[in-house]
Amino acid sequence: MDQLATLLLGFPPAGGFASLEDYHSQAKSHHQSLDKLASTSNFRQSAANLLEHVDPAVNSMSYLALLNTAINTGSAPLPDLLAKASVFLCTFDPQQTRYSGKALSSLLEWALSGTSFPASVAVDVVATALLRLDPMGSVLTSHHVALAKLALDTDNIIPALPLLDKSIVSYPGIKSTQDPRPLCSPDLPPAAYIAIETGLTKSLTSTDVLQYDLIRGLCYIQLKDWHKAHDALEHVVTYPARDNHSCSKIMVEAHNKWLLVGLLRTGKTPELPPTTAPGAQKAFTTLGKPYHAIAKAFEDGSAAALRTEFETIGPAFFSEENNLTLVHLVLQHFQRWQILNLRHVYTAVSLEQIRQRTHNAMTAAPLATEEEVEQLLRQMMEDGMLRGVVERPADGPAYLRFLDDDEGGPTDGGGLSEAEFARRMQAAAERLRELAPLVRATSDRLGSSREYIKYVVEQQKRDLDGRGRAGAMDDATPFMSQIEDEDLMTGVVTGY
Amino acid sequence: MDQNLQAFFTLVENQDGVVVRDPPKLDLEIYIQNYKGRTRFDRLFLIGRSSVPLCVEALKAAIAEAKRGKDTHRYREAVELLRIAAPSEPEATYDQAWLEAQEASNKAETNRLLTELKGYKNNLIKESIRMGHEDLGKHMESIGDLNAAAEAYSKMRPDISTPKQFLDVGKHLVRVSIQRQEWGMVTAHLGKLGGTQYAEDDKAVQTYTKIGYGIALLGQEKYKDAALGFLAADPAIPASSYNELASPSDVAVYGGLLALASMDREELQSAVLENSKFRTFLEQAPHIRRAVTQFVSGRYSACIAILESYRPDYLLDLYLQKHVPAIYSQIRNKCIVQYLIPFSCVSLDTMEKAFGRPGQSIEDELADMIQAGALEARIDSIKKLVTTRTANPRSQMQAAALRTAEHYERQALDRLRRIGLAAADLELKGGKKLGGFAPQHDFLVEETLG
Repeated sequence: MDQLATLLLGFPPAGGFASLEDYHSQAKSHHQSLDKLASTSNFRQSAANLLEHVDPAVNSMSYLALLNTAINTGSAPLPDLLAKASVFLCTFDPQQTRYSGKALSSLLEWALSGTSFPASVAVDVVATALLRLDPMGSVLTSHHVALAKLALDTDNIIPALPLLDKSIVSYPGIKSTQDPRPLCSPDLPPAAYIAIETGLTKSLTSTDVLQYDLIRGLCYIQLKDWHKAHDALEHVVTYPARDNHSCSKIMVEAHNKWLLVGLLRTGKTPELPPTTAPGAQKAFTTLGKPYHAIAKAFEDGSAAALRTEFETIGPAFFSEENNLTLVHLVLQHFQRWQILNLRHVYTAVSLEQIRQRTHNAMTAAPLATEEEVEQLLRQMMEDGMLRGVVERPADGPAYLRFLDDDEGGPTDGGGLSEAEFARRMQAAAERLRELAPLVRATSDRLGSSREYIKYVVEQQKRDLDGRGRAGAMDDATPFMSQIEDEDLMTGVVTGY
Repeated sequence: MDQNLQAFFTLVENQDGVVVRDPPKLDLEIYIQNYKGRTRFDRLFLIGRSSVPLCVEALKAAIAEAKRGKDTHRYREAVELLRIAAPSEPEATYDQAWLEAQEASNKAETNRLLTELKGYKNNLIKESIRMGHEDLGKHMESIGDLNAAAEAYSKMRPDISTPKQFLDVGKHLVRVSIQRQEWGMVTAHLGKLGGTQYAEDDKAVQTYTKIGYGIALLGQEKYKDAALGFLAADPAIPASSYNELASPSDVAVYGGLLALASMDREELQSAVLENSKFRTFLEQAPHIRRAVTQFVSGRYSACIAILESYRPDYLLDLYLQKHVPAIYSQIRNKCIVQYLIPFSCVSLDTMEKAFGRPGQSIEDELADMIQAGALEARIDSIKKLVTTRTANPRSQMQAAALRTAEHYERQALDRLRRIGLAAADLELKGGKKLGGFAPQHDFLVEETLG
């Protein structure tokens, strides 16, 4: 028992480490000895007891091994294990867990399995743990996908948001040349240690990646955050393909939702980004026809046309595609966008005029009373869609006054104050600066990839050959093809 | 109104025809004297179909006109209308004897000309063949077979030997195409006609082509180009050389109206009022000159008032009829835009006084104009004010800068993401047998929203 305790508490050593290499070799050997211990019956029996003596934040590797063993043997009551696991997941030392990726993965899987934590807690602790592992959140793992599914299925989206909001730029399975730095190096890019080799993630397929972004989109739709939902779905829509005809079912599904969300977000049909794969574009045009019809009717600005379009396609169709609620929302939002577009015409407009000029697409008729209009306006203001005030002067009809938008209203001197503008620009610059490590990591990876090095070597060889043969001429445009014989006389070639 | 007339115009309205109830300022007899050729009938017929006060008179004149010619089809058409509009008139019954005699003689004449032409062709004398085609074309045109006429005229082309003949062919073809209202063909024929050396030497032909272009472009709704055509006509040329198309006062009206609809104040001043040639035309239509002057000097409501008082006349014009609403609303919109330029804020009452029309609120019109993007302004419908929107370069720049930054960030992330996917070998790869879809199990997420 004491022997075990000494070993478990032996990492990190009290004296500290001489260098990163020292840390690396000690951590590796500690990991190996933990592996050996795990199979001994002595260790299995005393794991639950030993947990009390090991600090999860300091001896994270040991704690993790004990916790997993205790869970597997069921030697401690479940509530106890859950409390310990959540403390561990929120406090562990990410540097150590790089060495015991498999163990962490199995703990995370257990947490998300549904047999341990209630879903709301599971989502919260796993999201926290994944962010501890990679604060930038730039690497997708198999846990991300499972977490997002659980969050959406059990409607626990809010605790998952810190993780879902991160921009993913790298994916497991990247075949990179071995990073010379040790695994514990603090400036190692997350993609180097969150990999299949370290066991922190399993390998993913393109379907997983597509699903993850689609689920993210659905989460944001659930929260009615149209902006983020649109961006997430756009990731699916523009998913790269290697040929000119591939398209996946998930992409089509995402495209249809993306179109509807685009209408909700901007009141206009969104345009396909130029990066969309050609095969997908074709599939979207044919398979998204009903949605395009809705979008067109929405843009044309006739409530009756929109309503008819919806009815001819039929609620059953949308319900089959799991889009009925979204389409209903689009119909509901139609009038909101009509009112919002009045902003381009009026600075102030009476509620009665709004009632007459805009139509409800659910009924294809104007609203019945001024009160209903006002209620709708209040709703829009609460949602942050509309900037304006409803005023009720004593001697006249109630009216809506639009407050100026950012593009500079007609009444004031102009848009933002200099300070506000500077603040926003600064924020934008800050966000760009945060991208720098990601760019550097990608650039390093590409720079050291086998293909690139091969290319550079070839290039250099060709340059040398070229110089030997015909001077420093660019091989791609041979001398003779560009210049006619006559031009040699007229000084055209002085540039060469 | 007479019951028959009433029935007649309901019928016209049902057929989407234009009905003009107000009396025009023109006098039918003097008006029609300005023209010669087949356009006389067309114009009379149009007035008969459209104008309530002049209906019977115009239709009777049209019947008389048709009877003077050889086109029995037109005669039938005109009598048909008169029979509905005024069955009691003596002209409302077919002159059967004339009809039969005319049809027989038309047939005989066609046959005679065809045989003659055959003979000429056998003799291989170019000049005779050309003349044979020309005679046939003229005959076909006069009996109303415009298709055959156009064909016969174009067959003259290979046998032309003098510039005069070349110009004649061109004019024939232009005239026929205008009658058939094939505006694209008109411009094509005019292009052939006007692009040659002979045409440049002949002032009369130049004016003819300018007016022809004007009419054709008007038909194609290219108002600005059409206006330039009419503005370039030469008043020194006797009207007889182009009055099978339009009269000098028509030139003034078309040119003036279209210029008003398509040019700004400076252009109107220099191209219309200071255009010494066009001024001569404007003497034929002094109200147009007044309207243009009022517009240029900024009295927009006066300009609109003048034009409104002449609306019935223009609605009875063969070429203008279809375009009057569009031209008028363009002029009106321009007036409103120009009116607002010097102000930053105008009250709706003032606007109503300047541009108000009974039964139509200026506010709605302004709202429509703003929505269509014709006017940069905002309406405060509570204080009844219109504020013009001035560009604010500073805030535009700010918005653009923020947009660019955001765009850059998005792009950067997207590129990194795509590089990452490519590096991890996660791009979609189509299964060869699966016809476009990558192999994967069905995946539909239950919708839990709301």
